[in-house]
Amino acid sequence: MPVILEARDVEKTYSLGKVLVSALRGITLEVEQGEFVAIFGPSGSGKSTLLHVLGGLDRPDKGNVYIDGISLSTLNDAKLAEVRLHKIGFVFQFFNLLPRLTALRNVELPLTLADMSEKESIQKAAEMLELVGLKDRMNHRPTELSGGEQQRVAIARALINDPKIVLADEPTGNLDTTTGWEIVRLMKRLNQEKGQTFVVVTHDQGVAETAHRMIYLKDGVIQGMKKSSGSVLS
Amino acid sequence: MRRKQILAMAWASMKQRRLRTSLTTLGVVIGITAVIALASLGEGFRVTVKQRMEQGFELNVLTVIPGSLFAGLSRQRFTDENVGNISKISGVEAATQVMQMGNVTLHKGDEEVRAFVATAVNFTEFVQVFPDRFEFASVNGSPDQWKNNTIVIGYKVNHPNETETSFATAGDNITMTFIKSLYVRETQNFTVAGTLQKKGTPGLTNFDYWVFIPLDTAREIYGPPYESDLIFVKVLNPNDSDAISNDIEALFPPYQISILAPMTFIRQVDYILNLVQLFLTSVASISLLVAGIGIMNITTVSVMERTREIGIMKAIGAKNTTILTMFLAETALIGLFGGLIGVPTGYGLSYLLSYIVSRFTMGQQQDTVFQTPETQHGAITPIFSPAWAVGAMLFGIIICVLFGLYPARKAAKLDPVKALRYE
Repeated sequence: MPVILEARDVEKTYSLGKVLVSALRGITLEVEQGEFVAIFGPSGSGKSTLLHVLGGLDRPDKGNVYIDGISLSTLNDAKLAEVRLHKIGFVFQFFNLLPRLTALRNVELPLTLADMSEKESIQKAAEMLELVGLKDRMNHRPTELSGGEQQRVAIARALINDPKIVLADEPTGNLDTTTGWEIVRLMKRLNQEKGQTFVVVTHDQGVAETAHRMIYLKDGVIQGMKKSSGSVLS
Repeated sequence: MRRKQILAMAWASMKQRRLRTSLTTLGVVIGITAVIALASLGEGFRVTVKQRMEQGFELNVLTVIPGSLFAGLSRQRFTDENVGNISKISGVEAATQVMQMGNVTLHKGDEEVRAFVATAVNFTEFVQVFPDRFEFASVNGSPDQWKNNTIVIGYKVNHPNETETSFATAGDNITMTFIKSLYVRETQNFTVAGTLQKKGTPGLTNFDYWVFIPLDTAREIYGPPYESDLIFVKVLNPNDSDAISNDIEALFPPYQISILAPMTFIRQVDYILNLVQLFLTSVASISLLVAGIGIMNITTVSVMERTREIGIMKAIGAKNTTILTMFLAETALIGLFGGLIGVPTGYGLSYLLSYIVSRFTMGQQQDTVFQTPETQHGAITPIFSPAWAVGAMLFGIIICVLFGLYPARKAAKLDPVKALRYE
């Protein structure tokens, strides 16, 4: 399978006041199309920072990230936004839906940003919500949805522009165990049925072990990698 | 991003912060109301003044007087030859000279009235120049028959107390006492040829206060050199006033005469009133600037509150320009609504102000030579100018967008990762 995401020697340092914090210290990794990869590690290990850098939300201090062969370091802010729009889907721990918009409008938003006609985009968003099992909840606002439902909406939004890769930052972190596993199963299903590539950041080993490949991150360095069957226990 | 969607989101966000949006819009409304009220009132004032002047001054009559603003009074007097030359200028319909005799006293039996301005004119020419002003209350014969020792009396002279009863009517014999030279007063007998109706003109010449005698009679009284004090020139087209004035000036030595051309004067006054209107409107537009600062304030607050939302938008692929446009769309909408409400309100306010002003001035009527009752009912009707309305609305929107620009740019430049972490 072709490599869809590649990070080479990525370093990132934060300054917290006068203290410099090395969040990432030379990360190199590749993700192939159709893979389901988990980045696993304790909190403060740099998982989220890595995910932001991989998704073009943040720029590395050193090294480079390639998505679908595009070198992100060469892009200006506007081009980077286009890459995020068309090649990447984000799923966050706290769902990050726009509170004023209905589920349908939230899912439609990336299509709106891509200038798709309203008629087409609404139809596509509705289909996507149906795919994540929220056909009946389309016209509810986030506050009227449960956590699991909100995360489904977020996943639908991440998928709506047919991204090359979906990056999920602790997608189960704000959900109870049962709901969390529902979300994991949904992502696994999308991975299997649609061949959607996922990179999931988690500190939950159980979740991480469902991935094809588990990358263990600690103190900004990849400590190890483990391949597994990728099956989900039901 | 689709424009419609940007507007829809802006609208939704404004609706969510209804009170804040309303208050900010109110600021813009007040600004635009002030601009429109003063502009319409100013426009009404300008047009009213212009109309009054056009009615008041005979636009087609130029007045040639001795002396010049630049060289002071001159001893220039006017001769029959001058009048003849002026009559020959192309575009001139007629010219007539006037000899002034200062103020005089008229007696009939025991009754006595005073005239501020006694003039000697060629009646035939004079009536030709001022046909509209010579409407008679009583008349004996026609102007070309009025020769020696006839007199025409203005309304105010004839009705000194504004009563119905007149001092004299056509055919009456009266005497006139006038100053012949420094120490010599003289009295002569006259037959009243006509008495004038009330005309009251706000121009420089108000014939209500004048009496007229034939030029020939005055020349007999005063003797040579038979010179006059001013010349009235009637032109065929008022718009040629400037050219004709130049031609008349060319007939005299430099700086010896001045020409009062109402058209030139009105143009100047109109220009000045335009400036006044512009000035008033500029002052009013300061309140729009204040509203602009209000916009800046709430947009800044709004950006802070929506930091996380901005992060989300950026994460899913919104460009900086999209974020910028989203916020500017809100401020532009506030400007638009401010205009839509402010323009009619401003126009209404201008009517209210005009009503108050007219009530106020009506109580203060004075009756002087220059302010006759006809000029007093000074109600100013505001004039709605679509150009001002469109201009004010555009100005409002531009102000709102300009003041929104700074916070909106800050929003657009937010770091997405930090914005997403913002609590």
